Amino acid sequence: MSAGLNLLLVASAGLFAIGVFGVVARRSAVVMLLGAQFMFIAGALAFVAFARFGLGALHGTAGATMALFAGAIALAELAVGLAMAALVYREHRSFALDADRG
Amino acid sequence: MPLIGALPQPITSAPLVLFVYLVLILLLGSALACVLLRNTLYAIAAFAGSMVLVALLYLAIAPFLLVAVQLLVFTTISAALLIGLLRATTGLRASSVGRLSPEWIVGAAVSAVMFALLALVLGATAWPVQACCALPDSFSGVLGSTYAVGLAVLAVVLGSAALGSGLLLAAPTLPSPRGGGSTTSRSPGGGGSTPARGARR
Repeated sequence: MSAGLNLLLVASAGLFAIGVFGVVARRSAVVMLLGAQFMFIAGALAFVAFARFGLGALHGTAGATMALFAGAIALAELAVGLAMAALVYREHRSFALDADRG
Repeated sequence: MPLIGALPQPITSAPLVLFVYLVLILLLGSALACVLLRNTLYAIAAFAGSMVLVALLYLAIAPFLLVAVQLLVFTTISAALLIGLLRATTGLRASSVGRLSPEWIVGAAVSAVMFALLALVLGATAWPVQACCALPDSFSGVLGSTYAVGLAVLAVVLGSAALGSGLLLAAPTLPSPRGGGSTTSRSPGGGGSTPARGARR
């Protein structure tokens, strides 16, 4: 029994799929933002996995750096998205995002 | 001379493999709970748990600086932003659960067990030291030299995001021509909706 690149890539794909589900299937703005965060985390996890177990290990810090950058970008996206969610809440008294709202 | 050296071997140490599997299962479970829970506060808690689990996973496979940043910066700032949004919109009331109630005791016990487990694992294996010292260069040094442009761009992006979100929040809300949405069910879960809104949750 071992834990290598394949395991982490499968977990990354699963996390990405969960994020896509959150973005597509839920209509709460907050949950959609959290789904997008999971997609970012999945990408960062794949970077780190390749840096640790794949060819990226030749440049040991590259994957971790990419993960740091992805996390920071995700944080920026979360800040702007939450501000937009707050505006939506001010207008509709709900976080729900629906095309058929009116 | 080969262009590519030997690839790193997968983790074969039994306790470490078990730890990675356990963290991955918990990570996927908490992520699924985060997108499935209807109460936004619980979803945020599950999200913060997921971020902590990602940091624990990084502890086994990534440089320690990434673990620390993931745990101390990303997790706390994400949770703070989300809780701040809830406080600014739906309003979070103080908990009615007393300090000696069963819920509080169970929660404190779970937290204590998690911290003890983390301390035990760290003390027994010293992964951060190994991961840190196995690097050819200092991670922070590489960040500051090789990726200086990336860091500058990142600072610009983060500054722009802070400015943009501040401007968005400071902007006055114009009255909706439709007179606003339905407010039939308001809840801290944020999913206020009318029943005939289709199959989407």
